[in-house]
Amino acid sequence: MAAAGPSVFLLMVNGQVESAQFPEFDNLYCKYCFVYGQDWAPTAGLEEGISQITSKSRDACQALVWNFPIDITFKSTNPFGWPQIVLSVYGPDVFGNDVVRGYGAVHVPFSPGRHKRTIPMFVPESTSKLQKFTSWFMGRRPEYTDPKVVAQGEGREGLVRPPALPGVHCFLR
Amino acid sequence: MNPKEEKVKIITEEFIENDEDANVGKRKKNSKVQRQPRKKQPPTTGPDKMMLEESHLGNQQELVQDEPQTRLLSVTARRGPRSLPPIPSASRTGFAEFSMRERMREKLQAARSKAESALLQEIPTPRPQRLRSPTVKELETEFGTESGKEVGSTQQEDDTQSYARVKFHVSARKIKSKPQVPPGFPSAEEAYNFFTFTFDPEPEEAEEKPKHGDGTHQEEEEGEEEPPTEEGANRMDEEELLHGKDAEDFLLGLDHTADEFLAVRPAHYESVHVRLQREKEMLFIPSRLTVPTYKKLPENVQPRFLEDEGLYIGERPEVARTNQNIMENRLLTQESGRRWFGDDGRILALPNPIKPFPSRPPVFMQEQSIKAELETLYKKAVKYVHRSQHMIGSGDPAGNFQLDIDISGLIFTHHPCFSREHVLAAKLAQLYDQYLARHQRNKAKFLTDKLQALRNAVQTGLNPEKPHQSLDTIQKTINEYKSEIRQTRKLRDAEQERDRTLLKTIIKVWKEMKSLREFQRFTNTPLKLVLRKEKVDQKTDEEAYEAEIQAEISELLEEHTEEYEQKMEEYRTSYQQWKAWKKAQRAKKKKKKQATEEHPEEETEEPYPEEDPVKPSPPEPTDRAAVEQQVRERAAQSRRRPGEPTLLPELSLAGSVTPNDQCPRAEVWRREDVKRRSVYLKVLFNNKEVSRTVSRQLGTDFRVHFGQIFNLQIFNWPESLTLQVYETVGHSSPTLLAEVFLPIPETTIVTGRAPIEEVEFSSNQHVTLDHEGVGSGVPFSFEADGSNQLILMTSGKVSHSVAWAIGENGIPLIPPLSQQNIGFRSALKRADAISSIGTSGVTDMKKLAKWAAESKLDPNDPNNAPLMQLISVATSGESYVPDFFRLEQLQQEFNFVSDEELNRSKRFRLLHLRSQQVPEFRNYKQIPVYDREIMEKVFQDYEKRLRDRNVIETKDHIDTHRAVVAKYLQQVRESVINRFLIAKQHFLLADLVVEEEVPNISILGLNLFKLAEQKRPLRPRRKGRKKVTAQNLSDGDIRLLVNIIRAYDLPVRKPTASKFQQPSRSSRTFREKHAASPDTRSPTHSADYPLGQVLVRPFVEVSFQRTICHTTTAEGPNPSWNEELELPFRAPNGDYSTASLQSVKDVVFINIFDEVLYDVLEDDRERGNGIHTRIERHWLGCVKIPFSTIYFQARIDGTFKIDIPPVLLGYSKEQNMIIERDFDSVRSLSEGSYITLFITIEPQLVPGESVREKFDSQEDEKLLQATEKFQAECALKFPKRQCLATVIDISGKTVFITRYLKPLNPPQELLNIYPNNPQATAELVARYVSLIPFLPDTVSFAGLCDLWSTSDQFLDLLAGDEEEHAVLLCNYFLFLGKKAWLVMGNAIPEGPTAYVLTWEKSHYLIWNPCSGNFYGQFDTFCPLKNVGCLIGPDNIWFNIQQYDSPLRINFDVTKHKLWKSFFSRSLPYPGLSSVQPEELIYQNTDKAAAAELQDRIEKILKEKIMDWRPRHLTRWNRYCTSTLRHFLPLLESSQGEDIEDDHRAELLKQLGDYRFSGFPLHMPYSEVKPLIDAVYSTGVHNIDVPNVEFALAVYIHPYPKNVLSVWIYVASLIRNR
Repeated sequence: MAAAGPSVFLLMVNGQVESAQFPEFDNLYCKYCFVYGQDWAPTAGLEEGISQITSKSRDACQALVWNFPIDITFKSTNPFGWPQIVLSVYGPDVFGNDVVRGYGAVHVPFSPGRHKRTIPMFVPESTSKLQKFTSWFMGRRPEYTDPKVVAQGEGREGLVRPPALPGVHCFLR
Repeated sequence: MNPKEEKVKIITEEFIENDEDANVGKRKKNSKVQRQPRKKQPPTTGPDKMMLEESHLGNQQELVQDEPQTRLLSVTARRGPRSLPPIPSASRTGFAEFSMRERMREKLQAARSKAESALLQEIPTPRPQRLRSPTVKELETEFGTESGKEVGSTQQEDDTQSYARVKFHVSARKIKSKPQVPPGFPSAEEAYNFFTFTFDPEPEEAEEKPKHGDGTHQEEEEGEEEPPTEEGANRMDEEELLHGKDAEDFLLGLDHTADEFLAVRPAHYESVHVRLQREKEMLFIPSRLTVPTYKKLPENVQPRFLEDEGLYIGERPEVARTNQNIMENRLLTQESGRRWFGDDGRILALPNPIKPFPSRPPVFMQEQSIKAELETLYKKAVKYVHRSQHMIGSGDPAGNFQLDIDISGLIFTHHPCFSREHVLAAKLAQLYDQYLARHQRNKAKFLTDKLQALRNAVQTGLNPEKPHQSLDTIQKTINEYKSEIRQTRKLRDAEQERDRTLLKTIIKVWKEMKSLREFQRFTNTPLKLVLRKEKVDQKTDEEAYEAEIQAEISELLEEHTEEYEQKMEEYRTSYQQWKAWKKAQRAKKKKKKQATEEHPEEETEEPYPEEDPVKPSPPEPTDRAAVEQQVRERAAQSRRRPGEPTLLPELSLAGSVTPNDQCPRAEVWRREDVKRRSVYLKVLFNNKEVSRTVSRQLGTDFRVHFGQIFNLQIFNWPESLTLQVYETVGHSSPTLLAEVFLPIPETTIVTGRAPIEEVEFSSNQHVTLDHEGVGSGVPFSFEADGSNQLILMTSGKVSHSVAWAIGENGIPLIPPLSQQNIGFRSALKRADAISSIGTSGVTDMKKLAKWAAESKLDPNDPNNAPLMQLISVATSGESYVPDFFRLEQLQQEFNFVSDEELNRSKRFRLLHLRSQQVPEFRNYKQIPVYDREIMEKVFQDYEKRLRDRNVIETKDHIDTHRAVVAKYLQQVRESVINRFLIAKQHFLLADLVVEEEVPNISILGLNLFKLAEQKRPLRPRRKGRKKVTAQNLSDGDIRLLVNIIRAYDLPVRKPTASKFQQPSRSSRTFREKHAASPDTRSPTHSADYPLGQVLVRPFVEVSFQRTICHTTTAEGPNPSWNEELELPFRAPNGDYSTASLQSVKDVVFINIFDEVLYDVLEDDRERGNGIHTRIERHWLGCVKIPFSTIYFQARIDGTFKIDIPPVLLGYSKEQNMIIERDFDSVRSLSEGSYITLFITIEPQLVPGESVREKFDSQEDEKLLQATEKFQAECALKFPKRQCLATVIDISGKTVFITRYLKPLNPPQELLNIYPNNPQATAELVARYVSLIPFLPDTVSFAGLCDLWSTSDQFLDLLAGDEEEHAVLLCNYFLFLGKKAWLVMGNAIPEGPTAYVLTWEKSHYLIWNPCSGNFYGQFDTFCPLKNVGCLIGPDNIWFNIQQYDSPLRINFDVTKHKLWKSFFSRSLPYPGLSSVQPEELIYQNTDKAAAAELQDRIEKILKEKIMDWRPRHLTRWNRYCTSTLRHFLPLLESSQGEDIEDDHRAELLKQLGDYRFSGFPLHMPYSEVKPLIDAVYSTGVHNIDVPNVEFALAVYIHPYPKNVLSVWIYVASLIRNR
């Protein structure tokens, strides 16, 4: 982060979505995007990205390693609405449909330096057992209209945060 | 060494420089002088002494020169002795205290004189040498003495005239002086030297050593005294610098060889031991040991411990002991370190800011499973507790508090049924009670005893037995006693007298009673008074009596004398004054005074001799006899006579009551009446009845015994406790006799300890009885003659006790505190007052205060503040109790800036407004960081709006009514928008989570079928475009695509020369229009046009947001363009959010023009060579489509009627039979021109969803449920058909739709025009409705919700969309007796809309309420494309036919198979009342205002046209204008029909030599801007023929209710040559 010019400050984020722990799933890929406030604007880099599909490592920890780089620069006039990185992980289900395996969000670290964040991931649950079955059967799991809602505060009253799944590791510098 | 000496050196050096050649000796002296004080040796030479003076002088001077100079002496001294090249003068220039130098010079002159001689020649010119070391300062202290000594020794040698020595000194001095030039900074030269040269000290040392022996010595010293490594390193740098300097000088001047610059030196080493030692010298390491307190305090000051003195000291933050010690040690060594210590010898510290309790609620632990968190717990329903200030804090342990009320009985002291005897008996009883009470207290006895005691005290006090007490105090106490005695005596006398009178009264009443009993010959009451006489010993009694009297007399006498004395004193002082005055007057009178001086004082007690009773008016001597007389009289009156027996009355109920049969009739009646009466009590707690006693019969003694205990379990603090006494006579209803207010018990009073108390009550009822009973409130008398009347009111006493109950475990069930101090509860708890004085004490303020005083609460301790405040409130009697609770008490401490400052900040304001979602700032991005970057004008609009909120502005809105309406609308809009903004924050699960519905079987089957489908079919089906959520859009991303396909039936040009045709324009009457007669009209005029002649060359121009695109020119009245135009779309403020897009008010104008070519070739001769034509375009008509429609519909596809002015000069509408005869039959029905369009937005935007917020409603819940069911059923069958049952009214409430429909009267004025022609009236009414301006709800209420206003609101607002128009029209039609329905359906271009359907005898008519047009059911060009439901005044019918196009459906709503009705047999129409007013009241519009408006609009439009033609001259043809102006009212009266040709004829007649093109525009009036836009869109102003003239006329026809019909006639004229 460095002050640039008289009226904005810059926030440079680079890092990577390193790996994930999804013991139950394999062949996952992840998407990332940023959610930020009104006073923020990206000046360089990619705001969204989609990673390659990765399979579990063969060792004991069975990590899904992406090492997917993130590099973006924001400018802003106000710390309010500090950027959050929103990750969503997708993977094929039994029938080969791509379904969402987890959503998660974390604020970009406030202090410069190397940070490692583990983001707990979660998915919305079906409202009933029957729906759970049909959604499983038809490969259309409940998912957020927009992954960005996980980073927003509005309208969360009706949502129950399901138990956290093992998280995604994300290095941000 | 101090820096002052340095100064001196420098200054002296200046001398040297100034007179360079002569002063070598001086310089030497100077250096000596400087070193002198350092040396600490007795000066050996004369000059040294002298220099000592100089050094003092130097000190003085230093005061003037404020920058301390620091130099490293030892180093320079060592390095000095070398042959030096001349000084560059530049290095000296900075030093410029010339005046000072001057003085110095003079002083030094003398000192120098001796040593000046021999050294002169040998001194080389000084060389610049520099030092730069900030660390030198420290070194000085270390090395100063050393070098001083050393130099001193060299000086001694100096006397022996050592050449080398001199050099050395000189150079040393040079070195010292140099760096001062730019203090603290190296000059460029220095820096350069520093970085460029490296030199070894070797050659230098080689040089140095042979020169003088000191060198070695010096070296040794240096080795020993090496500073710590760092310093050493620094110094090394300096050395090197010096070498560098030298070397440079050598280079320049002395031609040293290169090898001299190379130096090989061993690595510098110093032993750890040495280093440690040095470090010890250099570094200060504070000790960790505790500092004794005396060190920390100023001398001879005892440490003060404020805490012990009772002052509050906050808790200190925790600091480790060692750290504290280190800090203290360090501070002590620091200068003025003591101020860091407080009086108690500790470091000053603020109280610990850390709160002892967490301010955050505890967070659930992660370990807990979700299941546990989500588990529902059953909790018993809790009784609702009143939210009032009397509520007991919710934090209290849930306990019920209990109040026990024991009502033991009731005694009437008067009752209507009292007989006279009863009255007396009651009186007697009362008196006796009084007597008993008095007797019990026996005040008289008590006071007598007291008096006795006091007298004794006086006696003892007078005896001089206590020598240690001063006479004064004795006298004082005695005086006090005496006054006390006086008081007591008076009191005793009064008491005794009262006792006596009471006794007398009792006896008197008893006597009366006895006589009454005798008189009436029966007894009612068992009362009996017995007087007991107690014999007393006559003698002792008498003695006591006498003694008493004597004592009193003596006391009285004493009093009198005292009084007398006092008077004398007064007299004396006044006399003194008088004397003084007299003296001044004349001295002679003195003798007179002397004579009377020896006036004897009568009073023996008076010890003071009277000195100057000149004119004694001696106060009356007290007469003992008189006093005695007085005393005796009083005693006789108030006291028992000596020897008289003491009378003790005793009241008993031993008497017998005469039985009924012996009583007279009246008495018997009375007794029976009494028996019929019964009494009960109601217990009211906080004015609510909580219980009542049983009803008890009134006894003959008028006593009622209840003996009931009521346990009141209470939540609220008792405010009032009331007993109501009810009396029932026989079987009649109970009457309220009186209310008794019971005091709420002290918290100390608990059950078992409460005494039975009696509370009196009385009633003001008036009762007259026909028997012996005396009644109540009526006069009666004991006397036979009726004199001496008495009026008694019913009264009585309730004996009761109220107490707090005790719980099972012995805790009193008392609400913890009284209502007033509820706010202090927690504070009290913390202070632990409760535990120390018990619960009950807390409410007892005095006790609390006492406890506070006893426990020595620190009033400064913030912990105790609330308690202290409570006590002060309680004791001072003020009842200020803060009625607020502060959430963050410490907030203020964290405020970094005051509120005003914060509000002044522009940035903060901007942020604030944005977060409030003020429209101007809602989407403001990147608010600048600094205030200065925020432009003031950012706020201007906003502030202006705020200002204008209440000011009605008449600039935009020409007539005031509209302005008012606009304001109102604005306010409604704002409030509605705010509601929606809030509603938008409420997301449902479905908004956030996409989840498949639970599939039913059919869908499941379909999906199963789909599974078998090919994944990639060879012939893919068309899929819908992907919708884009308007988030990442920016300017230029969105385009508006307008596909213009073809047009039909455009007007064609008329040859100007041709004679007037028969009216070709479809000027049919109403009957013709709806007569569905598809007869072909004969092509009468086709002959006029030769084949192949171009009738019209139309092209289409689309303008949107001031961007204009046009198609190519086609030919003929039925052109086909088939072109796609692309227009960019810009959202307001670059905000592409749904809300913002919805509020886009821009309109797409699609104008059709005729391109006309004119040959402008002036000269016929050139005709063969070139073509010179001018293109003119003539406006034919336009289609307007609001952007919001496009946005919501996503695409608009269809054939639209072109809005063609009623009169289009130069054009006529021709049926072009020649070209398209085949289609004629289809189109002949239509009288307009049409254009086929396809409009869409690319990319497709997601239209905003409607707000689902459920609005509150006043409708019946059942009805609402039925509505929902109905809508759900309809939506299931035909999801696309509009079904409306409830709408939202303007106040945001859900209203059933049929309530809007009700016959309402149209303006009478309209009805009067065609009284006999209902059809014409209907048309007129429709026209009236269409003249009300159209304003879509989505624009006004960006929250997508349709608000329906009632017709009167609509007419008041004069703005509304289709629904309002339709409702009003429908209501008018209902009034006119038509069968009319509201049609909800889809139309083009409006999309979902409302039309009106009427039944005209044999056919249906569909009315467009916004345009006033009507169509037959089978009219192909009817814009209504499908019908969802029909709404009548009493029912809703949903279209369940297969088709929904009006052409194909049956409008017969009675057919249940075709129309599903809302109210049916199962749900009958409940008869809903209408929301519409009873009647609409129309005010006539002010004609004058309309005329004024007309003028203003005309003026504005003319100005605008001139503005639009900035490069051309705009001429106005007045003649034409006036002609047009005359013509416009005709148009209005004929509603734009039938007059074209007459008009044209007239115009041609008048303006025969002009080529004329123009047209009238007709619009409803809302604002000026739409008018301007309309005129602009016609492009009249675009004509740039040089000699063009314009004509513009405006006519406004006022209709009732400010509905204005505006006609604008614009024309351009070109003179024909």
